[in-house]
Amino acid sequence: MISTELIAQSLLAGIIIGVVYALMALGITFIYSIVKMINWAMGEFYMIGSYVQYFLIAQLLGPDLWFIAAPLAAFSVFLFGYFLEPLLIKPMFTAGIERKDDYATVVTIALLLMLRSLATVLSGPYQRNPGSNLPTVMLGPLPESGARLAAAVCGLAVMALFYVLLKTTWLGLAMRAAAQSRFGVQTAGVDIFRMDRIAFGIGVALAGLAGALLAPVFLVYPTNGIVTTTKGFEIIVIGGLGSIPGALIAGLMLGIVESLGASFLAPAYQNAYGFILLLIVLLIRPSGLFGERVRQA
Amino acid sequence: MCKRSCAFGKVCPLLHREAAAKTFGSAEEGTVAGLKSIARAGVLVAALGLMGGALHADNEPITIGLIIPLSPPGDPTAGQLIRRGAELAIEYYNEKGGVAAGHKLKLSVQDSQGRPEGGVAAYRRLVSEEHAIGVTGFFHSSVNLAANEVAKGMGVPTIGTQTSAAEITSKKYDVAFRTHVIDPVRVSAWLDFITQKGFKRVSLLAETSDYGVGLVDETVKQNQEKNVGLELQPMTFDRSSTDLTPLLLQVKAFKPQLLINIGVGQPMDLMIEQAATLGITPQTAMLISYDAPVRPQFWQLHPKNGAGLYFIAYYSPRQRLSDLGTWFAKAYEDKYKESPVYSSLNGFGDVAILAQAVDHAKSSNPKSIIAALEGGRFTSWAAADVTFPRAEGVYWHNWSPPVLILHYTDANQDWKGAVVVVEYAGTAAK
Amino acid sequence: MAAPILETLQLTKRFGGLVAVNGVDFRVRAGEIRGIIGPNGAGKTTLVNLITGLYPPSAGDVRLDGASLLGCAPHRVAHAGLMRSFQVSRLFGNLSLLENLLIPYFALARGADRAAGEQRAWRFLELTRLATMAHDLAKTLSGGQRALLQVAVGFMNPLLKCYVLDEPFAGINPVIKESILALIEHENRANALTFVVVSHETALMRRLCGQITVMMDGRIAAEGTLDEIARRQDVIAGYLGKAGI
Repeated sequence: MISTELIAQSLLAGIIIGVVYALMALGITFIYSIVKMINWAMGEFYMIGSYVQYFLIAQLLGPDLWFIAAPLAAFSVFLFGYFLEPLLIKPMFTAGIERKDDYATVVTIALLLMLRSLATVLSGPYQRNPGSNLPTVMLGPLPESGARLAAAVCGLAVMALFYVLLKTTWLGLAMRAAAQSRFGVQTAGVDIFRMDRIAFGIGVALAGLAGALLAPVFLVYPTNGIVTTTKGFEIIVIGGLGSIPGALIAGLMLGIVESLGASFLAPAYQNAYGFILLLIVLLIRPSGLFGERVRQA
Repeated sequence: MCKRSCAFGKVCPLLHREAAAKTFGSAEEGTVAGLKSIARAGVLVAALGLMGGALHADNEPITIGLIIPLSPPGDPTAGQLIRRGAELAIEYYNEKGGVAAGHKLKLSVQDSQGRPEGGVAAYRRLVSEEHAIGVTGFFHSSVNLAANEVAKGMGVPTIGTQTSAAEITSKKYDVAFRTHVIDPVRVSAWLDFITQKGFKRVSLLAETSDYGVGLVDETVKQNQEKNVGLELQPMTFDRSSTDLTPLLLQVKAFKPQLLINIGVGQPMDLMIEQAATLGITPQTAMLISYDAPVRPQFWQLHPKNGAGLYFIAYYSPRQRLSDLGTWFAKAYEDKYKESPVYSSLNGFGDVAILAQAVDHAKSSNPKSIIAALEGGRFTSWAAADVTFPRAEGVYWHNWSPPVLILHYTDANQDWKGAVVVVEYAGTAAK
Repeated sequence: MAAPILETLQLTKRFGGLVAVNGVDFRVRAGEIRGIIGPNGAGKTTLVNLITGLYPPSAGDVRLDGASLLGCAPHRVAHAGLMRSFQVSRLFGNLSLLENLLIPYFALARGADRAAGEQRAWRFLELTRLATMAHDLAKTLSGGQRALLQVAVGFMNPLLKCYVLDEPFAGINPVIKESILALIEHENRANALTFVVVSHETALMRRLCGQITVMMDGRIAAEGTLDEIARRQDVIAGYLGKAGI
């Protein structure tokens, strides 16, 4: 039954979920632009963020202080990434490894498996719910869970903050330069390895933040990062690797397409609609909507 | 180490203990004589591994395989609960001195992860490496179905502990057995519930697994055959979806009186929360299709939205237990400080049934075990005896416990105190 | 010579069987503008790459103000006070001119203050007459303007002691060449900065450099003023024997 109300509701639901997926995509694309590697374990940092949020809320702060717990959770994921990078990723550049992409793939996939197993060992395979006291909010015709809406709003705020910091701070300038020329920025005096650590930390912290904000919505368990990783990468392909506006716009597109598809076509194929969008975009623009055009010849 | 069974036995009967047993009359004498042959053969014997077949030498334990989900995407809580029951069954028989004149039992636990490939790999491992005489524990239907396809060739019987898809038994494989509620019985139970409540519009939200799709099809079928006259909204979703909002919006637009939640594990939990957020429940009633709400974690996950839910259960403390069941209930309470739930009861029961089958057959030969299962009467946890007749269709090799529909009226309610709305006797095979 | 500000000791670089730089002892005094010339393939750019830390040497040492630069990552070389410009300008095309100039300043100045950085950047924008394009993206500049900007970027290093320019005049129009020349001379006079300039432009080298070092076949063949060098038969033979300047 197609009604304007259902259309509006689906659209809104899609936008909200799209914003959150975009956070994951932003993390992936940011890390790629600086460190020039794809971090396949992004979902596991989402998962860590959700676990830290759960423990902060369940043990220390209670669900009402979720907005204090979430930045703390994101920061803890930042620290984890910041200290992990020199161990795992830096050797890609310093140890004379030639096939860097393969190295990064192997290392981040190994990390993914290890983190998942670690979570299962430490916390058990059970789902946990930090709980949320946020009331259900009516967004026009759509009743939306308070936690989900809060996640979307915070996500947008963080993305805007990220953009502003990138444009106005010295660190942001160094990062933008590093994204354009990893080598050139070194000869200009920037310590690229420090940039790598910070960029990696920030990227995974974005995933961790998404996990923390969505903990009461999608629950906390060792494999809750899988879906978000998949969506994150779909978004990268659609929006173009290395493009920040691309991450947000593609995120929204994906959320909306999946939501409308599930509402009006067969809901069993919800995930397939996103892939169809991806295929269409690739046919038209192989490097993604905002991706850098690969030079011919 | 050679792991092949009977092929070598045919060539070298003196090294094959089953053949030796047949030749020399009893397992023990056969083994002694076989050992003499082995001594003559020398090095060859050391190289060849155990062959399957006759009961092993004295004190060689008999292995029962348990294939359960212990990690996602399977339902690990279910797996753990089944395991608890199975372990207690092993304890029970070993304390009594073992089965078939002194053979102790050993449980080999394998993680299927709720995936068919996991189940297939586990079954193969259990049969070829661990020489299990029977494999049970199955929780996810798709895992049971996949394992049965392999079992058909490898010959070691399987008992589905909590799997409900029809084809598990309706394919009528010799190796396939089940002690759980089958779809027709489950659906009949909830149609009883629907009629009792006077519901006319019912939404079915099912995961696209064998379990989910089977139940939707069966409900549509019985609605027609029995002329119940319901308006049904059947919808399916991918198990890995975390966002069920689009489907729930359609449910909301349909304005049903009952929403049947046919998800297992995460999808089931997410649906409870998301339906509440969208304001579908509690005005619309929700029925959970299996007994997850009896688990201790349920209220932690759904502190606010659990009250008012209806759910299926397969055990109520008011039911009469067998002596074995009574022993089990007490042992479980002593060990885990909580009352046993169905998953544990049935896990216990299935291992007990296999132990009894070995006892009856006095052999670990898979064919003998199957014959024993088909012909015997077994004691499980429930008061009624268990039999596995060669009956028609889905009733082949099947025993169903009764189906209950319970209702949580308050938050944090103990499931034992939940109101029993329907009690549907498991239909015995004709 | 008083202690040189930049020196190499027996600096050698081998690429497989090819010896590109062969035991070079190169010394530059503080405040000099030294030129390096030589035929193609002489090893000039390799020498520059070794000095600025882009390649690890096969043997030998590089010292700036007495401290060895061996094993230093490129950014540490910049911290030590050595900057280098590239024959093909390395700029950040998607950043503005101002932003390009600010990067080395903020990367290298301790406790950098934005106002001071911008002041310094504007000074160079004026000097190079690029001030009107300060907020345009660097990729919109012409080739000559990019060369000019690139030279200016090096000067933004607040710790600069020695600036190595690799073919700064290549393919540039005469007006811009004059601007680059003027910039170098100005900074040399005003701040006593040391320069090493690799180039084929003999006329400009004559005006700019005091001493010239001639490289041939990976070795230093001659050193002196341009006139002194021009009289040496072996140098002339070396040049005429190659595929021309």
